[in-house]
Amino acid sequence: MIPARSLSIAVVVAVMLALHFTLRPILDWRAGVDFLTIAVLVVAVRVRPGVAALVGFAMGIVADALAPEAFGAGALAMTIVGFSASRLKSAFFADNVLINAVFVFVGKVAFDLIFLVAERRLGGAALAAQLLLWTPLSALLTAVVGLFVMSVVRPTLERRRG
Amino acid sequence: MPRGARTDTRADTAIAAACVLVALILLVLPDAPRARTAGAIRGTVVAPLVTMQQRASLARRAFTSHDSLVLIADSVLRRSQRLDEVTSENARLRALLRLGQSIPWDFVPAEALVGRGMGDDNTLLLSAGARAGVQRLSAVVAAEGLVGMVQHVDAQSSVAIVWPNPELRMSATSVDGTAFGIVTAHQGVGVAAYLLEMRGVSFRTKLPVGAQVVSSGLGGVYPRGIPIGTVIEELRGAAGWERSYLLRPAVRPPDVTSVLILRPGSVATMDSVWRVAPDTTRPR
Repeated sequence: MIPARSLSIAVVVAVMLALHFTLRPILDWRAGVDFLTIAVLVVAVRVRPGVAALVGFAMGIVADALAPEAFGAGALAMTIVGFSASRLKSAFFADNVLINAVFVFVGKVAFDLIFLVAERRLGGAALAAQLLLWTPLSALLTAVVGLFVMSVVRPTLERRRG
Repeated sequence: MPRGARTDTRADTAIAAACVLVALILLVLPDAPRARTAGAIRGTVVAPLVTMQQRASLARRAFTSHDSLVLIADSVLRRSQRLDEVTSENARLRALLRLGQSIPWDFVPAEALVGRGMGDDNTLLLSAGARAGVQRLSAVVAAEGLVGMVQHVDAQSSVAIVWPNPELRMSATSVDGTAFGIVTAHQGVGVAAYLLEMRGVSFRTKLPVGAQVVSSGLGGVYPRGIPIGTVIEELRGAAGWERSYLLRPAVRPPDVTSVLILRPGSVATMDSVWRVAPDTTRPR
């Protein structure tokens, strides 16, 4: 039987996936909210690092399948972000929601950095513009939304744990 | 550290390492198996998400273009009231002049689905696939001109390579048909990376700045007459008896929302569709 907490996490992931493929295309911002990163981080702080890596890999593959030019780069970046977040959770992911928001920001920046290096398409000024302008903006938005999501799901998930 | 905990940590690291390894293998796969793998995922587990994204894109378009669509609908309604009369008049005049029917040309409309913004500048995921009749190597056009070519077809979606992709090459000609060449993405830095390059133009043919370049129809993929770009300047340093030109592209892929996928071989020329005239090629 699936534990209620796992079910709750699965629901959160499903909602994030749905938002990523509905709300994001509707908004169509250059520096958009990355709901997949939020989903991976929400899961990563609550499961073992191996499971977090698997979830990150799956999320990355889903995103890669829709942009096959860099197929594998998203999976690589999400795997590393998920695994690292899960390994660091005991040290950094305190009950302070603001610290979690900072980690969503760092997670998104780390994802973009690994992704851009792995896909090897951008270089020079274009890479610098992406990393110094669009990535921080996108990470900031993702962190704000992540803060909201975590504050909504935390009471439910913590109650399940208790 | 207890032995059980240590074993768990090793297992976690092993799983993560396996995921990284698989991701790296996917990254270095040749294009064909990589496209097949991505297509298989898109056609199965990700298919509902593709459908959701397609609906979201349509919703966005409906929202942003509502007012203009109402105006268009009003105009269409007004014109349609005169349609029967015009149709019969047209048939009568064609019969008088002994003209044939207008050339039928075949296309599949599709939506360009929004990607993640990074890593998908050279490809476009389209909302129509094999079920709608899309075939590999079909030309993809937008209202402004040539966008690219379908490279991979799934059941419900397809992937097109667009002109910034260095693998895309288009046989091109000037509007008056005096200059022929091959158009590819310009391998420049900064803003120049968003331009096109026309190579292999014979040395005796000089294109003026502002001249429009269209597809030549050679090669069988792109029908003749689809706008590709406008000459900005001649590139220096072209070796041999040929000239190269820098072109401003007719289409900006980030602006593409709706496209037409032309069925291969359905039409040889589209000169009459865009009606590009040599005297309209002056720079604005």
